[in-house]
Amino acid sequence: MKKKLAALVMSFTVVLSLAACGGGPDASPEDGGSGSADGGSKTVVIAMEGEGLETFDPGYVYEKYSHVVMNACYENLFKFYSNDGAAEPCLADTYEFSDDGLTLTVTLKDGIKFASGNPMTSADVAFSINRCKNLKGNPSFIADTIDSVETPDDKTVVFHLTEPDSAILSKLTYNAVAILDSKVAKENGATDAEDAAETDTARNYLDNASAGSGMYVLTKYTPNEEIVLEKNENYWGENASNVDKYIIQLQGDANTQMMTLSSGDVDVALNLTDDTVSELESNDSVAVINDPTKTVAFVMMNMDENIGGPVSEPKVQQAIRKALDYKGVQEIVGSGTITPYALIQDGFMGSKGTRDVSYTDVEEAKKILADAGYPDGFDIDLIITDLAFEGTPLTDLGQKVKDDLALIGINCNIVTQAWAAGYGDAYRDGTLGLTVMYWSVDYADPNVQLEFLPGGLVGLRAGWEADMDPEIAAMAKSCMEATEDEARTAILEEIQDATYEYGPFAMIAQAPAHIGYNTRLTGVAVSDPYTLDVTMINIAE
Amino acid sequence: MHALKKLFKSNYLFTLGVIICLAWILAAILAPVISPYDPIVQDLSVRLNPPSGDHWFGTDNFGRDIFSRVIYGGRYSLLAGVVTVILSGIIGTFYGAIAGYVGGMVDNVMMRLSEMILSFPSLVLAMIINAVLGSDLFNTLFALVIVSWPTYARLMRSVVLSVKENEYVTASIALGASRMRVLMKEIIPNSINSVLIMATTDIGNKILMFSTLSFLGLGSAPPTPEWGMMVSDGADYFNKFWIAGFPGLAIFTMAVGANFIGDGLRDLLDPKLRKEF
Repeated sequence: MKKKLAALVMSFTVVLSLAACGGGPDASPEDGGSGSADGGSKTVVIAMEGEGLETFDPGYVYEKYSHVVMNACYENLFKFYSNDGAAEPCLADTYEFSDDGLTLTVTLKDGIKFASGNPMTSADVAFSINRCKNLKGNPSFIADTIDSVETPDDKTVVFHLTEPDSAILSKLTYNAVAILDSKVAKENGATDAEDAAETDTARNYLDNASAGSGMYVLTKYTPNEEIVLEKNENYWGENASNVDKYIIQLQGDANTQMMTLSSGDVDVALNLTDDTVSELESNDSVAVINDPTKTVAFVMMNMDENIGGPVSEPKVQQAIRKALDYKGVQEIVGSGTITPYALIQDGFMGSKGTRDVSYTDVEEAKKILADAGYPDGFDIDLIITDLAFEGTPLTDLGQKVKDDLALIGINCNIVTQAWAAGYGDAYRDGTLGLTVMYWSVDYADPNVQLEFLPGGLVGLRAGWEADMDPEIAAMAKSCMEATEDEARTAILEEIQDATYEYGPFAMIAQAPAHIGYNTRLTGVAVSDPYTLDVTMINIAE
Repeated sequence: MHALKKLFKSNYLFTLGVIICLAWILAAILAPVISPYDPIVQDLSVRLNPPSGDHWFGTDNFGRDIFSRVIYGGRYSLLAGVVTVILSGIIGTFYGAIAGYVGGMVDNVMMRLSEMILSFPSLVLAMIINAVLGSDLFNTLFALVIVSWPTYARLMRSVVLSVKENEYVTASIALGASRMRVLMKEIIPNSINSVLIMATTDIGNKILMFSTLSFLGLGSAPPTPEWGMMVSDGADYFNKFWIAGFPGLAIFTMAVGANFIGDGLRDLLDPKLRKEF
């Protein structure tokens, strides 16, 4: 009898669980998928990588995935409303640069309120920016060019800059200079005094709650488990999203994300891979985005003859640029990969777009190499480290480069060296002759790419001193000073023309992000500054 | 010789082990003849193809033939197993024999030195050596030898301690043989059995360890076809079993084969386990 009862219970559970599974993907849009338990509230579940989430305090936040939360809960003076464009006013109403480019005057919009109900004034802006500067945390460099902040009245903020900085609007979109509710923050120990690095005690509070003016408020954070964001009932503007609640599951494994997305347990999966995306193709209720990010991989050829040897020769560098099989690299990195035109990534303001894959020409490359004095090629070490370029191991890219260069007679000997065991130091000190590396941008502005020019941070790693190519180095300076978008675009294009077929870098790929989402959502898109802009997502009615 | 024949007849696992190992060694030697493709040349038009008539074991991320890579990979993995075992066996044998035979203060110092190396987790130590010296085939073999010889030394010492008490050793000394002669002619030949047995079982271990180091990116440099590194590459392709599966199978069969031989030799040589031979 007992056995029979057990069997009955068992079969009942099986039937129930089958019904639950079957119901997942076809669930009507109104019941909000997995959120249906909360009585019809519109809930969206996001799965994302949770490792390395350190803090949600704007003064310290620097990790890629924390921006999803920061962008939902806080607002800045400026914001990137699309992934390829310039920063646009958000809390700012109007802004104006002085003629010498050293002063930026911003007026705030009327009627801005924080989630606490406190009105926002220019004092909050000054507090937030000074706090970010004085905390001396990881992201404080973003405010390096801001000398001081002045608040002549409640609605006006005047930034005094240390030097003309055409990227300042983009920098002001960064989450580290999000506008904090200074009243709430001070109550919880925050300070913007010069010794804030020692005396500020608000981090603990801000890790578990938000004090901003964004569309959502952070209500729960369990490390390595989940983050809950709920609608800000006091939101001052118009809600661009009809989602009431976001549950962010911190589960970074691509295969788990793929399976929970296809079963309907999760609405958005942020860390899919090229391989798992192919598994989702047949699923009608799931859509996949394979759009490029701003992370680029490049071949670096040292300009210093003592370090680079033959690859320090500009003609050899050009032969290598001609010999690389960009189409093959795109295949290996996965669908959605593109090749940038030159040093500026596709999608940035002023970008000249992509480099056509038909640029590859092995015969031409051989000719250039012979011209440079190496008709039979040469042997060289290709040093590779143990990092991955948005999921593609650099050793894979290294093997591809080796194979391509072998076609023109350059015989690469791959040497693998761990990042921690010497590669990192050698890369930063500029003592690597030939390597394949990647670069992800700190903030979304084409000016970050100026580091690749002679005398810049990355340029020097390739032994490219400012006095080697003073003309190109001068372009970097005038780009920093061009506060007008048109003028800056013109200089950025000049820079790309100058580096299209010259210089120690061959940009080989711009990596895609693979995001999968349930088709009941609209507005899901790849976002470089925010990883995923949840304030743009809507549940289809 | 007679005993070996009997072993073949009675111990099927030993026979199987010998066949497996011989097959892999032959395959490695004849790799250029057997393998249908070049193991290194890429062909992106056939990347990630499943096993088929053209590519028996399928192709990898770069369109390289996995069958050819597994065959060529034996050269590196077998080399790693055999060379490290022979080198660490020789070093360990002499080191242990000297320590055990001389005894006293010398024994103490020598053994504490070897224990120092043993006290590190061997894989971590190998990784450190590899990371510091840079990772290529030679450095990896060197690291493996460094971490494995102390085990042989300790085994040898313990055997020598009992062997040197034998009467034939005393007799040899009484006849005026030098210490060196006693060591080389009496002690070592009579203690070597256990080292030999351990060495055969260890070949499998060393292949696995070498594969682990390669898996962690510290073994031989790509695009060298090496079993451990191939498994590591394949781990990124969750639903394409053939990329990691076939090299994994190669490691498995080689390790099992070497273990079978080791077991058989132990049965043959160990007097305590010797049955009717």
